[in-house]
Amino acid sequence: MGPPKKSKKDRSGSDKFAKKRRAEDDAYTQLVDDNDSMDNASESDGVPGAASKNAETNDENINTDEYGAKDYRAQMQLRPDHGNRPLWVAPNGHVFLESFSPVYKHAHDFLIAISEPVCRPEHIHEYKLTAYSLYAAVSVGLQTHDIVEYLKRLSKTSIPEGILEFIRLCTLSYGKVKLVLKHNKYFIESPHPEVLQKLLKDPVIQKCRLIRSEGEGEGDGFIQGTMDGKAITQFGTKLPPASDKPEDAGASTSSAAGAATAEGAVAIPDDITDFYEKIDKEEEDEDEANLKTVSFEVAQEKIEVIQKRCIEIEHPLLAEYDFRNDTNNPDINIDLKPAAVLRPYQEKSLRKMFGNGRARSGVIVLPCGAGKSLVGVTACCTVRKRALVLCNSGVSVEQWKQQFKMWSTADDSMICRFTSEAKDKPMGCGILVTTYSMITHTQKRSWEAEQTMRWLQEQEWGIMVLDEVHTIPAKMFRRVLTIVQSHCKLGLTATLLREDDKIADLNFLIGPKLYEANWLELQKKGFIARVQCAEVWCPMSPEFYREYLTTKTSKKMLLYVMNPSKFRSCQFLIKYHEQRGDKTIVFSDNVFALKHYAIKMNKPFIYGPTSQNERIQILQNFKFNSKVNTIFVSKVADTSFDLPEANVLIQISSHGGSRRQEAQRLGRILRAKKGAIAEEYNAFFYTLVSQDTMEMSYSRKRQRFLVNQGYSYKVITHLKGMDTEADLMYGTQEEQGQLLQLVLSASDLDCEDEKMPGEPGYRPGGSGTTRRPGALSSMSGGDDAIYYEHRRKNVGSVHPLFKKFRG
Amino acid sequence: MVNVMKGVLVECDPAMKQFLLHLDEKLALGRKFIIQDLDENHLFISTDIVEVLQARVDDLMDRISFPLHEKDA
Repeated sequence: MGPPKKSKKDRSGSDKFAKKRRAEDDAYTQLVDDNDSMDNASESDGVPGAASKNAETNDENINTDEYGAKDYRAQMQLRPDHGNRPLWVAPNGHVFLESFSPVYKHAHDFLIAISEPVCRPEHIHEYKLTAYSLYAAVSVGLQTHDIVEYLKRLSKTSIPEGILEFIRLCTLSYGKVKLVLKHNKYFIESPHPEVLQKLLKDPVIQKCRLIRSEGEGEGDGFIQGTMDGKAITQFGTKLPPASDKPEDAGASTSSAAGAATAEGAVAIPDDITDFYEKIDKEEEDEDEANLKTVSFEVAQEKIEVIQKRCIEIEHPLLAEYDFRNDTNNPDINIDLKPAAVLRPYQEKSLRKMFGNGRARSGVIVLPCGAGKSLVGVTACCTVRKRALVLCNSGVSVEQWKQQFKMWSTADDSMICRFTSEAKDKPMGCGILVTTYSMITHTQKRSWEAEQTMRWLQEQEWGIMVLDEVHTIPAKMFRRVLTIVQSHCKLGLTATLLREDDKIADLNFLIGPKLYEANWLELQKKGFIARVQCAEVWCPMSPEFYREYLTTKTSKKMLLYVMNPSKFRSCQFLIKYHEQRGDKTIVFSDNVFALKHYAIKMNKPFIYGPTSQNERIQILQNFKFNSKVNTIFVSKVADTSFDLPEANVLIQISSHGGSRRQEAQRLGRILRAKKGAIAEEYNAFFYTLVSQDTMEMSYSRKRQRFLVNQGYSYKVITHLKGMDTEADLMYGTQEEQGQLLQLVLSASDLDCEDEKMPGEPGYRPGGSGTTRRPGALSSMSGGDDAIYYEHRRKNVGSVHPLFKKFRG
Repeated sequence: MVNVMKGVLVECDPAMKQFLLHLDEKLALGRKFIIQDLDENHLFISTDIVEVLQARVDDLMDRISFPLHEKDA
């Protein structure tokens, strides 16, 4: 298996981009080489050539002024009625949308479908057209001419020629052919006979074609077919009282929205609304219209070859699973409970997935706490075939089980957990919940686990739900794919974001991004908590700062985390919020600090070595015991620790400048609070930062993602009332000196962040002295492959406004 | 014999004072420049070092600040 074919075009790009591209390709080749043995890597082994095209380079010859603003006047003509139209499309693929425009809603839905959100603060949103996003748009059913036409109507100016060209390049060949699994036979299907003709002319694909009867092979021999119309997918139960509800709700809101815009806003040019309605209708019509399609059958064992070949000839196959017509796999008997009501955005995201009555593979991005599990459960209930749920940790396995029991009619006998602690009997169950590491485990297993694994491998899974899909390294994911046979894959995540560029791989490993929600909008509607983010500056005590300046890197970390004034701020905040009756979680990546803080303040703490039972006990206490209002956790709790009660989060140490961690942690307190008023802040997110240290820089870096989602951070330089608070610890010089001694005598091991199983530096034993060769970067978590520090480039072109405060 | 030295009074927070002491001790600017350590917030330093020192402090500020407006590299 070789590296993916590279198109010549990316060579001709600017040097900078070409270099970056090449580095990516290299990394990619490596990955592919590592996985020579895989046998079921569905669309994983290549990224189509068009995907490497980039609109960013289109505007290299444009003049820029001293502030870096670009002069596009030559390429874009302002239209006379520009005031009524909501967006600009820049020649480099960036799209700017006025969120106060009356047609914002239409434009927003459309842009979400065709582009990636870059930054969404309150008034102007920035999106970017990328090859991936256009691929995603096509796979949810948008056509090239629709995209172009609608973009033209929404834009204040004419659309630059380069962008039109880019859209055509990226969409024309995509989405034309589908790999469909029907009656357990694989078909290549397309509404365009000429595309299939072209495919069949290819010798490789010809060989893979499966011809069952004599007559079929002659002439075109396509199987004519129609997509029939019953396809509107019902989410929700088949029980009569509930069955109509979601449908009606959907219809009435959309028509209401239509009516509202028609009457309310006279200023909107008709063509925008007309066209929107048309597209809207088309989306729905698509289900009902009997589309003529042609298809041919292919041999199952050749699937992989075909997928690779199709990518090479720039017709990537979209995988679809016609679960209604799958008679080989038994249905499992689960339905949503009538009480489970989907929120509008959840329904919308599922609609994208089941758009034409078949299940598409893809990724759904919802903020933490916005009900990702319900989306997963609903998807499983819709497919109604055997379902496999993969998540990160043992705790979230339990949580998924509870979610299934809460929202669906599944009971204990149908749900099987497969973790190192809990091994239910898998035989005959419909839903298996397990962790990534359990599946990809390579060492010897117990006999029981071995049996389960064998069973798991033998099954044909209807749907595979991948929780927190951003966390899994591509390699591990490929392993999962080699082990598990599933017809459709649904990735769920809150932060489709990694510091390395591996996110792009997910597009072709799982499928395109189907839906991404806007955090601020959900917050406004009260679906997630309204969070006040604050960065609290804690001055370094002189003694600590002195040591900080002289010691080596790894200990520096410990020094700024253990800074006594940080400790005092933390204690103060905990006290303050306990008095208010809030529930507080304190996060620390550093275990040494975690233990010290927790033991000093006499609070329970959870970290890696804490046993499953103890964890659950602590969490139960936190939930129900009014005396336990504060817990300390290490980064084990970053993802999928469902703590709906918590509404205050204090962060005392973190994983460098990882944006993802910041967002994930915020997610712990995002779940909407009961009886909360949407206008007021009802959750608090504090980051404690030691002044004048590297932490300041990290903190700024970490905030980028959330700032792009429209959050703003308040900087608190002085906590009011802290000076008068008498019983805070480490008030005297003497105590601080002792703390300093403690820190200085800590071993190097204590200075490190906690390692998780699966991370490079992980040692199962926990403590003990082992010597390992490695760079400094591994000390600071740099070779985690998830978080990287990048060298800062072009410092010269800083906008004068942001130039420093030099005296 | 009387030695006359021109000096500048520096007022700063305790942590920053530590930074200056550190520079002084490590001879980071080539030589010692602190004439008198006055109290927690005050130092008396020689005049001719001021410019270099300012650049050095700017440097520190640079390192611990991160440009938000820059696009992801």
